[in-house]
Amino acid sequence: MRSLQREPALLLALLAVMALVLTFVVYPQLQVVLTPGPGGYVQYLQEGTWVRPLRNSIQLTLLSTTTAVLLGFVYAYAMVYSNMRWKPFFRLVGILPLLSPPFVVAAAYTLLFGARGVITYGIFGQSPNIYGLNGVWGVQTIAFFPFAYQLIADALSRSDPRMEQAARNLGAGSWRVFRTVTLPLSRPGLGAAILTTAIYILEDFGNPQLIGGSFYVLPTEAYSLISSFGEYTSASAVSTILLLLALGLYLAKVRLDGGRSFVTISGRASSMPRPPVSAAVSRACFVACLALAGIILLVYGSLLVSALTLRFPNNLQFTTEHFQYVLSGTNGDALRNTLVFSGVAAALSAPLALFGGWLVQRGKWPGRGALDLLLILPAAIPGIFFGLGYLLAFNQRWLDFVDRGLLIIIAFIFWNIPVGYQAAVAGLRQIDRSIDEAATSLGASSLRGFRDVVVPMLGGSLRVGFVTTFVRSVTTLSLVIFLFTAPTTTATIRIYQLVGDLNWGAATAYTVADIGMAIVALLIFAALARGRIALGAARA
Amino acid sequence: MTPELDRRRFLKLAGATAFVAACGGSTATASPSATASVAPKATGRISVYSALNESTNNQLFAAFTKATGVEVSALPLAAAGDLQTKITAEKNNPQADIFVGGSSEFHDPLGKQGLLEAYQSPNAKDVAAQFKEASGLWTGWYTGIFGFISNTSRLNAEIGGKKPTTWDDLLDPIWKQKLILPDPIKTGGGYIFIATQIFRFGRDETKAMDYMKKLHPNILSYGPTSPGVITSISNGEAAGAPNWSHDILTEKAKDPTRIDLTVPKDTGFEVGAVSIVKGTKNLLGAQAFVDWVLTKEAGDLNTKLSNRGSVRTDVAPAPGAPTLTSVTLVNYDRQWATDNKTRIQKLWQATVGIQ
Repeated sequence: MRSLQREPALLLALLAVMALVLTFVVYPQLQVVLTPGPGGYVQYLQEGTWVRPLRNSIQLTLLSTTTAVLLGFVYAYAMVYSNMRWKPFFRLVGILPLLSPPFVVAAAYTLLFGARGVITYGIFGQSPNIYGLNGVWGVQTIAFFPFAYQLIADALSRSDPRMEQAARNLGAGSWRVFRTVTLPLSRPGLGAAILTTAIYILEDFGNPQLIGGSFYVLPTEAYSLISSFGEYTSASAVSTILLLLALGLYLAKVRLDGGRSFVTISGRASSMPRPPVSAAVSRACFVACLALAGIILLVYGSLLVSALTLRFPNNLQFTTEHFQYVLSGTNGDALRNTLVFSGVAAALSAPLALFGGWLVQRGKWPGRGALDLLLILPAAIPGIFFGLGYLLAFNQRWLDFVDRGLLIIIAFIFWNIPVGYQAAVAGLRQIDRSIDEAATSLGASSLRGFRDVVVPMLGGSLRVGFVTTFVRSVTTLSLVIFLFTAPTTTATIRIYQLVGDLNWGAATAYTVADIGMAIVALLIFAALARGRIALGAARA
Repeated sequence: MTPELDRRRFLKLAGATAFVAACGGSTATASPSATASVAPKATGRISVYSALNESTNNQLFAAFTKATGVEVSALPLAAAGDLQTKITAEKNNPQADIFVGGSSEFHDPLGKQGLLEAYQSPNAKDVAAQFKEASGLWTGWYTGIFGFISNTSRLNAEIGGKKPTTWDDLLDPIWKQKLILPDPIKTGGGYIFIATQIFRFGRDETKAMDYMKKLHPNILSYGPTSPGVITSISNGEAAGAPNWSHDILTEKAKDPTRIDLTVPKDTGFEVGAVSIVKGTKNLLGAQAFVDWVLTKEAGDLNTKLSNRGSVRTDVAPAPGAPTLTSVTLVNYDRQWATDNKTRIQKLWQATVGIQ
């Protein structure tokens, strides 16, 4: 990147991104942080009710992140390296846990594995108490490994097969190649995966709320203060504590990264295949993925069964009444809103994340660190506070002309930017600067170099950003709860209402419709991209 | 609109003005001369933030529109605290005209912050003082009673079919690990349960905490939401749970033999409120809504749809539903319960040793 003075267009673009982030991340969140006021913070901190949830949050984040990243790595390795069968199937199943609307999927776990669970009690006659640390740990591991999987698979698939081939030719076994070549080279993706997964687990509300029992964590503390007791000043203080924790995680990651280079794509593209892994490893990968896919399918299958039966699990008589309800009257409008808001947000968020990643990773301008942090931080803001911040900041008389649906779209874009951004940065760190510099030294502007050279090479990162933003927007309840209006109701709001109304059948039917719609949309997206953009992340 | 309805509106407004004038209040919005000559008629559309059940909203609002001609744009959210927060956060540019449903605890702080418009509905004059805010910031229109849900088959098989008649009955070791309590930290219902025990023991917190400590071994889990606990009992995860009577009845209607409702002695209750948000762009429409929910017609409809009780004595309870006179209530001090919430929650956590 040449100096900014010589490229006014680049300077302008940089200022535009900064202005966007300040307006739509910093300013609204500042409203929330300032809500309690100094007195409010002192009082809340003195009450001491945050100590236990804080300790629990840290413990749970450490445990769940470790297992989710491990699982994500296994899944990614299997998808990228092994010759196992059924990869397209596993790719699709790996997306499902991302499509977990709060309240419904976690509740499905209790119906399957709880004290009177269909599996635990119905088949094995056991009544385990899944409420508590162990239950949440298990559910979060399944729910969050796909984030790690996407980021790691993107990084793994970008590593140069020639390096591994070279190592093999020098006599290294496949394990040694993995340990000394593959693993070190995928460190940017791994670091990004650990950080993002940890932050998302830290701010996860749905699973600890439903499975956690009396194991209180900070997000459940904050939500209860608002939803059950209407105390949103104390809740805002909790949000600030969460932000500080995420900041700590971020700083830890920056320290760990150091300034190493992970370049694996040099000037010339390689068409060499990856060295084959042994048949035994492929088989092991297949078994591991199959087991994981089995659990995931069981949970989502139970939702489908519930949507198609009178009263799951007590009355399994077939019925279409729940789906008829979903499609009746204006109930379907919320599905359409969800599709439009999420689709538009994903289409805008992914390129913005990529561009932000390029500005930070390739730029040499002061203040890059700040932009880096600001593009990761939204992950640490629980949706309810992100939405609350938007309401405080943008519900102004002079802004009444702005469509409320647009406000939701903007909130989706910025709340979901971190994963796409992390993928972009991790990707860029593996691509030699000399490639885009070749374009600029031939006279192209930096922006043109970005468009014509960097973007085509980072299709995987773009895809990660798109898919993540889309599915997280489709499934979020907390973000929209303060932003929706009657005409801009989304599917998750409807599901929340139905669950509160004890209408479990209609709630699951709505959930299945929501997830089904998202999957169809993603498949169409994949087809439109003419197969170049596969579901999930891995270019196997 | 028919002339007859016009006349009814006129009489109501005249009554309201007379009432306010009689109280010497300053909340009258229409000048006496205007009321005397032409009755201002509520028209247009109002935005209603509703914490009522999903199944209640549509029919209730349709009936209101039919009766008054005022259209409703409803924003339903079955968590009153979320709506309270939303109204607080929107104070610079209020989006709601009406906040309906949810216990008065969620309306009262809004009134204290000056975010509600006081209104003495003529239809509120028969509502007992304990069900309404004195200056008209909010008015109670329905009641909910805390009861007990039992899973019939588990009750018969494991507890000998004996439902609790007092809260003390739940201390019997026969219930060991067979109860679910809505979480007192996460749910309003769970907290009301503890507060009820405190009032039951004449505000002797030591006795109440002793009760909660003895109850603890019988609790299988503390449930994340009150409706969620009902689902759990329905599925047989545990044998019984304290919960809201009206929601228990709604669940029972789907499968009458699976679960049952009982209301132990000395129980707590909530007063469901309606209030007008300050800064409303349609004050007449909002006032018409408050007037209407306080009618017998609305009371009957809400009772039928939600199984809740009415503050009106001429509204019959839903079949099988308890009323404030048919059960024994504790002397529930709402203000005290609100003011001491954090302290009591911490006390409870320390008492039962919850991590």
